[in-house]
Amino acid sequence: MPSFKLDDKDIAFEPGDTIIRAAHRAGVDVPHYCWHPGLSVAANCRMCLVELMPPPGRPAMMLDVLAWDELHQTYVPQKKPKLQPACQQAAADGMVVKSQTSEHAIKARSAVQELLLLNHPVDCPICDQAGECRLQDYWLEHQASKKRMRDEPVHKPKGVVFGPTIVYDAERCIMCTRCVRVSAELARDPVLSMRERGNLNEITVAPGRQLDHNYTLMTEYVCPVGALTSSDFRFKARVWFLRSARSTCVGCATGCSSFTDFDPRNQKVYRYRPRENAAVNKYWMCDEGMLDYQRIHKGRVLEARIKGEGVSDAAALEKAAELLKQASPQKTAILLSAEHSSEDNTALLDLGKALGALQVYYTGRPEGQGDDILMSADKNPNTAGVLALSGGKAKPFADLVAALKEGKVGALLALGSAVGNPNEAAALKEAKNFVALSTHDGAIADHASVVLPASSWAEADGTFVNRTGLRQESDRAINPQGASRPAFRWVQELAKLLSVSLPWKKASELRALSVAAPSPSIAPGAE
Amino acid sequence: MEPLDQDLDESELELPTEPMLLNVGPAHPAMHGTVRIVMELSGEIIERCDVQVGYLHRGFEKMCERGTWTQVFPYVDRCNYVSPMLNNVGFALAGEKMLGITVPERCQWYRMILGELARMSDHLTCDGAMAMELGAFTPFLWMIKCREMLWEIMEEETGARLTHSFGRIGGMAAPPTDGFKEHVKAVVKHILSVLDEVERLLLGNRIFLDRLENVGIISAEDAISLGWTGPCLRAAGVPYDVRKAHPYLKYGEVDFDVPVGSTSDSFDRFMVRIAEMRQSARIIDQCVARMPDTGPVNVDDPRVILPPKEEVYNTIEGTIQHFKIVMEGLKLPAGEVYSYTEAGNGELGFYLVSDGSGTPHRVRIRPPCFLVTAGLERVITGQMMADVVPSFGSLNMIGGECDR
Repeated sequence: MPSFKLDDKDIAFEPGDTIIRAAHRAGVDVPHYCWHPGLSVAANCRMCLVELMPPPGRPAMMLDVLAWDELHQTYVPQKKPKLQPACQQAAADGMVVKSQTSEHAIKARSAVQELLLLNHPVDCPICDQAGECRLQDYWLEHQASKKRMRDEPVHKPKGVVFGPTIVYDAERCIMCTRCVRVSAELARDPVLSMRERGNLNEITVAPGRQLDHNYTLMTEYVCPVGALTSSDFRFKARVWFLRSARSTCVGCATGCSSFTDFDPRNQKVYRYRPRENAAVNKYWMCDEGMLDYQRIHKGRVLEARIKGEGVSDAAALEKAAELLKQASPQKTAILLSAEHSSEDNTALLDLGKALGALQVYYTGRPEGQGDDILMSADKNPNTAGVLALSGGKAKPFADLVAALKEGKVGALLALGSAVGNPNEAAALKEAKNFVALSTHDGAIADHASVVLPASSWAEADGTFVNRTGLRQESDRAINPQGASRPAFRWVQELAKLLSVSLPWKKASELRALSVAAPSPSIAPGAE
Repeated sequence: MEPLDQDLDESELELPTEPMLLNVGPAHPAMHGTVRIVMELSGEIIERCDVQVGYLHRGFEKMCERGTWTQVFPYVDRCNYVSPMLNNVGFALAGEKMLGITVPERCQWYRMILGELARMSDHLTCDGAMAMELGAFTPFLWMIKCREMLWEIMEEETGARLTHSFGRIGGMAAPPTDGFKEHVKAVVKHILSVLDEVERLLLGNRIFLDRLENVGIISAEDAISLGWTGPCLRAAGVPYDVRKAHPYLKYGEVDFDVPVGSTSDSFDRFMVRIAEMRQSARIIDQCVARMPDTGPVNVDDPRVILPPKEEVYNTIEGTIQHFKIVMEGLKLPAGEVYSYTEAGNGELGFYLVSDGSGTPHRVRIRPPCFLVTAGLERVITGQMMADVVPSFGSLNMIGGECDR
């Protein structure tokens, strides 16, 4: 593999790589604002300038400059090497590049940083980006000097509403055009552009348009400074109080890798951030997914209910066990949920198997919008997982509706909250002895005789299988809310009361089973 | 116990003659701070004893590992709480050694003056308490009144009487106040006159001398092998003083003597402290004469020192600088350092380990009186029970520093 030398390190590269991309892959950071591994090269921030050593026997490309001579109080002509942006310069074999070791590059970066802060407002105390802002980090690493300009900074519009999700502050903007490129290249909707020149530069939305494509929050995510802020996250939390859990987005069947950012003090989730995953989402997430965290706290079932009335956990469990004993195994039905993790579904299947239940159905959230970028029309994170776990034997919700109408279902144990076809939800009224493990209010919780509050994906570890069959783990962020518990824990309690035994005791054993058993863990002969 | 009546034949009475086990402390008025001594007494003679420390352990070193480097200062304040300024300066010097920076000259003189004042306050407290514990209450009141004056200087300079948290890596929290030098001169002059009076009152007192002279002797070899430093070691005749042996700040440029004792008894330790206060006064005189009245106190390095408030509020560079230092903490380069200074009780060492982040990886404090207290057992074994109080007092154990 060809390689070049960056400072003292040998960096291998693939043909076509730029210096910064090869360094990024090797884990060496060349400071940059406008470059992003998932976007085209703009080379406009000039932060990544590096000094290229000329090939042996060739003179360096030099520029004439005037340098201030402190002693004689005058400018004197001097020469300095022409620096190159590492984000644009293609790597060549045997090339010698100086980044941190070049005094010219160090000086240039300091100057770039000073220029970027020239008209920057004193906003850190009220800026959402503070704490994860490149301007702050690079000031310390590359400038560390005080303000020299005494003039009034240029004032530009603040709090410009770009669309339903994004607010723009032109004064904080460093014109890196990452947001412009995200709109044009990722969302394929070139709705953002730049206008004016020099220090009057600002980002604008195309006339007559709003920033309203499906990836608007990615413009905020790539913004290296606080110029673009999400109206959802704006002024809600300070980032240094937040902790991150590695999670998988459950908004649709794509299963983008994400970070769940939560405040451990009040156990609230404040936002998702995309997590780099070359196999699924690369660097991105859609708006729907980014805002899906809101469901963790909205419309939740937080206490056990019998016929809609809040009751104690013990009373609900007792009632649930009593109901499930009413019907014969032939007439007992299990309703799996593609909203829930493989662990929860495995637990339910195992209970059904122990009870001898012969009918297995599955459902989930109704279909929604999909696209050919990231979004799937299937809005359930684990459809593939549920089908694999049941060995393909789980029948769709329509079959359950038919069975209910024919009176074939004597008892129903359901996981999940929503049903695939809301028009058919009314059929659940027919269900007798209906026990539900629900995270959210919805058709299932509304019609069930007993509802046990299940924890959401953010409150328990779980695995989800996405539309391509990729199994991904999602880590727990916050504690279970209210009286909720992970669904498999409720299943465990129910099994105790029903005097049946399950093939696992610990969550780790359950996970091993849910991963290792693609074959159906369902009662034999349950055709 | 020995029989009460010496005339009676022991064998006839069959009274037990086992040594008596006596527990003193941890909460005993004579046990400075909280320390426990379990003594085996034969009559009033201590046959064996066991000194147990740790009752004031608050986990300071561990707590230092969760904040920023600057947030360590309040903890070192509470180590030797009788001379916190010496701890402040000691820790600041350790951080600066790691960064490879030196504070401006004005700050160095300022730190020396404040440090010597703190040393005087330390010695005044120790000697005053020793006198009081032997029944001489008047010198105690005089000396504590002097200490009060020192604390007033500290209060004026730092805003706090006892726990100043005034040191900073790279300087001090504030420059000297306008009347600082005059204030110091007046107080030092007064303290010197009080020291003369105290000597006149105590050194002609037979009870005082008898209780201290030839009591609590430790050999110089023992003291060195135990790791003793400071006044207790110098009382044993070893002229080791960090300020002389390894000068820091401007100690190499000022004239002062290192007083030593001859017999290494409690009385020597008392007198070494009196003499050291006079030397401190000498040092202060020279520092006051040489400290510039203007000029910077803090190093000119924006990565280390907080910017002035008007810059924080009015320029983005100042805001970022403030944000970085306050939220992430100033960053010491990855590595380790051992830095040591002469504190009230001897060599105060800071062994710092940094991983390059804004939070200490390890802050190990070498408290001088921990090692001195380790020698208490040798000092009091074989002594009368009543001599424990002045002997222990002369070692000047400070619970906060010893147990941390």
